[in-house]
Amino acid sequence: MTEARPALPEDELFRAEIVAWLDAHLCGDYEAVRHRGGPGDEEADPVLRRRWEQELARGGWTCVGWPKAEGGRGLSIAQQVIFHEEYARAGGPGRMGHIGETLLGPSLIAWGTPEQKARFLPGIRAGTEFWCQGYSEPNAGSDLANVQTRCWQEADGSWRVQGQKIWTSLAHESDWIFVVARCVPGSKGSKGLAFLLLPLRQPGISIRPIRQMAGGNEFNEVFFDGAVAEAGHIVGAPGEGWKIAMGLLEFERGLSTLGQQMHFLHEFELVLDAMRRSGRTHDAQLRQRVAQAWCGLRAMRYNALRVLADRADAGLRREALIYKHYWSNWHRELGKLAMDVLGPEADVVSDDPLIRRLQQLFFFSRADTIYAGTNEIQLNLIAERGLGLPREPRPAAA
Amino acid sequence: MDFDFSADAIALRDSIHRFLMVEAAPEMLREIWETASGRSAALRAKLADQGLTALSVPESHGGMGLGDLEWVLVQYELGYYAIPDSLSDTAYLAAHLLQHLPNGAAAKQDWLPRIASGQVRVAVGHPVNRLVADAELADLLLLWHADEIHALRRDQVQLAARTSIDASRRLFEVRWTASDATRICSAQAGAALWQAVHDRATVALAAQLLGLAQRMLDLGIDYAAQRKQFGKPIGSFQAVKHQLADVAVKIEFARPVLHRAAYALAEQQPLASIHASQAKLACGEAALLAARKSLQVHGAMGYTWEADLQMFMKRAWALDASWGDRSFHKARLAEHVLADGVRLGPGETFAIPEPAARATRAVRSATA
Repeated sequence: MTEARPALPEDELFRAEIVAWLDAHLCGDYEAVRHRGGPGDEEADPVLRRRWEQELARGGWTCVGWPKAEGGRGLSIAQQVIFHEEYARAGGPGRMGHIGETLLGPSLIAWGTPEQKARFLPGIRAGTEFWCQGYSEPNAGSDLANVQTRCWQEADGSWRVQGQKIWTSLAHESDWIFVVARCVPGSKGSKGLAFLLLPLRQPGISIRPIRQMAGGNEFNEVFFDGAVAEAGHIVGAPGEGWKIAMGLLEFERGLSTLGQQMHFLHEFELVLDAMRRSGRTHDAQLRQRVAQAWCGLRAMRYNALRVLADRADAGLRREALIYKHYWSNWHRELGKLAMDVLGPEADVVSDDPLIRRLQQLFFFSRADTIYAGTNEIQLNLIAERGLGLPREPRPAAA
Repeated sequence: MDFDFSADAIALRDSIHRFLMVEAAPEMLREIWETASGRSAALRAKLADQGLTALSVPESHGGMGLGDLEWVLVQYELGYYAIPDSLSDTAYLAAHLLQHLPNGAAAKQDWLPRIASGQVRVAVGHPVNRLVADAELADLLLLWHADEIHALRRDQVQLAARTSIDASRRLFEVRWTASDATRICSAQAGAALWQAVHDRATVALAAQLLGLAQRMLDLGIDYAAQRKQFGKPIGSFQAVKHQLADVAVKIEFARPVLHRAAYALAEQQPLASIHASQAKLACGEAALLAARKSLQVHGAMGYTWEADLQMFMKRAWALDASWGDRSFHKARLAEHVLADGVRLGPGETFAIPEPAARATRAVRSATA
C-alpha cells in the first residue's frame, strides 16, 4: 500500500491546466472574492460572484463532472477531485451555482425529459440561472416525508403550489426553486408527492429572510400562494416525487465535499496564523487541540485518497455515509478552537479581517452538525444502512 | 462542610428566582439588547428593591451584611435569567473592594450606602480582562494599577466602546492616568484585595455559567417535548434525549464544585483561588456542553436570531472567557497540583472540614 496511487500523467497535466487557468483568471476584480462566499459567508458580494460563475463557464469550468453529451467535461472522479482541490487551494469563491450544478443538474440528467434538459441545463452551465432547494418545511425537517405543501393540476395542465418551505438557502439570490409537494390529497409520508420546478419571481411566491444568530440572513422562508409551475416542469411522474428527491440527495453527498478539505486546510492555517499572532503558541492545551485538528484533517485526506484509489462509485457511497458526521464534528471543533486561540479578542466584534473570518467560522460551524441531515440522522443512516441494524420505528410514515 | 445552605439563604434564592421569572422574560432581554446603553434603570431599580444591591454591604453602611454563600445562589439566578446589568460588579466585587480598604473610611462612607440603596453603578477594571465592563454608565471606576487600587469618576476616564458578541455585555477600553490623587490603596495591601476580587468574580461567573447551563437545558427539554417529527415529540427519540441527559450529568457534577468554591471564599481558605478556578472550569464546561447540545436539539431553529437560545449561548460563550479563560484556570490548577510539597492523596481529598453552617454563622457574627 502506498499513500496514494501514483498519479497518471494525464491527471498531472490536468492539474497543471486548472492551476494555470485559475492563476490567469482569479485575479483583478475577482481578488475581492478570493476565499469568500464559503460556508457562513454566502452573502459575500453576490453580484461579483455571479460574474465569476460566468467567467468560470466561459473557461469551461462549470459542471465539470457532467457527461460531455450534456455539455459537461465528463471528467473522471480523480480529475473532479483534482479540480475541487485546486479550486479551493486557489481560494476560488464559494460557488453560487452549486445547487444547480451538483443537485438539480445531475437529477435532470438522470430523470428529466429531453425538453427539461434543453431548457434548464444550459442556464446552469452558463452561470446565468441559479437554483435553490425547496425541501424543508416547518414540520418536515428530519422527517422530510411529512411535507404538507400541496400542489394540483389545472385544466391547462399547469401546476399550482400552496404552502410553505423554510431554511431555503439563498432563495433571495436565486431564480428558480425545486419543490417537493403533495399532489395526492390525503396521502401520507413518501407516497403521493411531486417534484416541481418553479420560477421564484412570480406573484404567487413571497420570500421572507430568517435572521441567523450571527446576524446574517442567508436562509429564508418561502411562501407559495397558488404559485405556478408549467405543465412540463414536473420531474418524474406525479407520485414519484420522493424517489426524485432522495435520488437528488445522493448527489449531495458527492465529490465536491472531498474538495472542501482544501478549504478546511485553509481555515486551519488561518487558525495557526491567529495562534502565532496572539502569542499563544506555547499554550499546552491549545497545542494539543491544534495537533488533534491536524490529525483529523489528515484522516479526512487519507479517506479521500482511499476513495480515489477505489476508482469506483461504490466506494464513494460507503465513505460518503460516514463523511458528513466526521467532517461536521471536526469543523465544529475547529470553530471553537479558533475562538480559544484568539483569546480575549474572540468575544469582541472586530474589523480585523482575520478575526472576522474566524468569528464567522465559529458561528457557522455551530450549524454544521444540523443542516443537510443532523448528527442524529447521520448516525441512524450509518447504523441502519451501514450496519444493517433494524430501523427505529417511524410511526407517521405511511 | 455539609453542602447545605441556611434556610434564610434558600428563602432568598427562591424569592429572587420567583421575582426574575416574572420580571426578566426573554422579551425584556431582547428589548434591552436593542437599546444604546444596553442597561435599564427600571430593571436596576427593581433589583435594588429586592435588596440585591445591599446584599454584601455591611449593616453599618446600610446593607444586609451577607456574603459569598448567599451571592453564589443569587449569581446562579442572574445567570439563569441572563440578567443584563452590572449588579455583580457593583454590589459584589466593588462592595468587597471598598469595604476591605485598609484606610478607606471616606470612600466607604461615600460609596457603600449608595451602592446598598442602588443609586450608583461601579465598574471594576482588573488586568486579567483587557476591557472594562459597564464603564460607560459607571459613577465610579475602581481600576488596577501595579496592584494599587485607583478610584476614578466617569469624567476622569476616556472610553472607547468595543462591541461584544454577547449584546448583554457592554465593554470598553478605558484610558486614564494614575496619580496620587486617584490612588485609594497601596500595592502592598492592594495585591491581596485584587486577588480576593478576582476569586469572587471567578466564582460569580461560574455560578452564572451554571445557571445558564440549566436554562439552556430547560429550553432544550421544552423544545424536544413540543417539537414533533415522525409523528412523535423528538424528545422521545434516544438520539435526542441522550444529548440532554449528558448535559444534566455535567450540571449536577459541577454544582458541588461551585458550592465548595463559595464556601472556600466565605471561609477565606488559603486555597480559595484553586477552588474558584476549578468551579469556573466545571461550570464553564457544563455551559458549553449545554449550548452545544441544546442547539443540536433545537435543530435549525436554534441557529436563528428569533429563538431565545442564542441569547443564552452567546452569554455563556462570552462569560466562559471572562476573568480568566480556560487556559488561565487550567494553568493555575496545574501549577497547584504539580507544586512541590502540595498535599494530595485520599487523606486530603476526603478530609472533612468544619460544618458549613457553623462556620457561616461565625463569619456573619464577625461582620455584623
